[in-house]
Amino acid sequence: MDLLQRFALGEIDAFETLVRQFQGEVYGWIVRVVRDPGVAEDLTVETFWRMYRARTQFRAEGNFAGWARRIATNLALDHLKRRRPEQSLVDELAGEARPDPVLRREMREGIQRAFRGLPAKLQVAATLALVEERPYEEIAEALGTSVGAVKLRVFRAVRILRKRLDRFRSQDLVERT
Amino acid sequence: MSEHDEREIREALKQAFPPINRELGRDLWPAVLRKLAARPARPTRVPWYDWALIGVSAGVLLFFPQLILVFAYHL
Repeated sequence: MDLLQRFALGEIDAFETLVRQFQGEVYGWIVRVVRDPGVAEDLTVETFWRMYRARTQFRAEGNFAGWARRIATNLALDHLKRRRPEQSLVDELAGEARPDPVLRREMREGIQRAFRGLPAKLQVAATLALVEERPYEEIAEALGTSVGAVKLRVFRAVRILRKRLDRFRSQDLVERT
Repeated sequence: MSEHDEREIREALKQAFPPINRELGRDLWPAVLRKLAARPARPTRVPWYDWALIGVSAGVLLFFPQLILVFAYHL
């Protein structure tokens, strides 16, 4: 009997092997979306817990990594819905990896605020497509939707951000003059 | 909205959200195991109201067997 069949039957040893094999991949996917290592670890644990709970629904010939990514994406999405935009902005700045000399701090804050103000579904699609540059097919699979729907979400996110950034720039210009 | 817009927003976002370390720093299996112990992961159960609905439906069909024909017609 192979590993996935044993997992579907509830064998804890098989589950441990799968967790150890896929935890890096699942964590890497979640941290791309939530951009907070602590939260990403918690959500990775929650992902595997949910997978074990739903093991009877898993078909042994199925794609374990794809299934994990889908559950992980839903959890990340729920996290973004719960998170307040102001809080996330502070977190983002606190966890900043390297300062950028080109873009001014206020501009960066403006972009982050505008981005975190987007609906969670648009945030996830835009983060994965524009920031992380993941293929649309992969994003669609993780979100359980079509490539067309992902493209539409990215389009809507860009349009909203464009408007907000234009407004931010014009306000900035007025303040400077 | 043009391709230029998308490119500009993409660049702005990349600068606003610098690359994040994607490497997992520790083994999460012990945490998964603790969670399993704290909240045992039973396979999904049928909720009580579904059982109640099945019970009510079976009772109705038992007392009014002619309704089977009505259900069969609508199915």
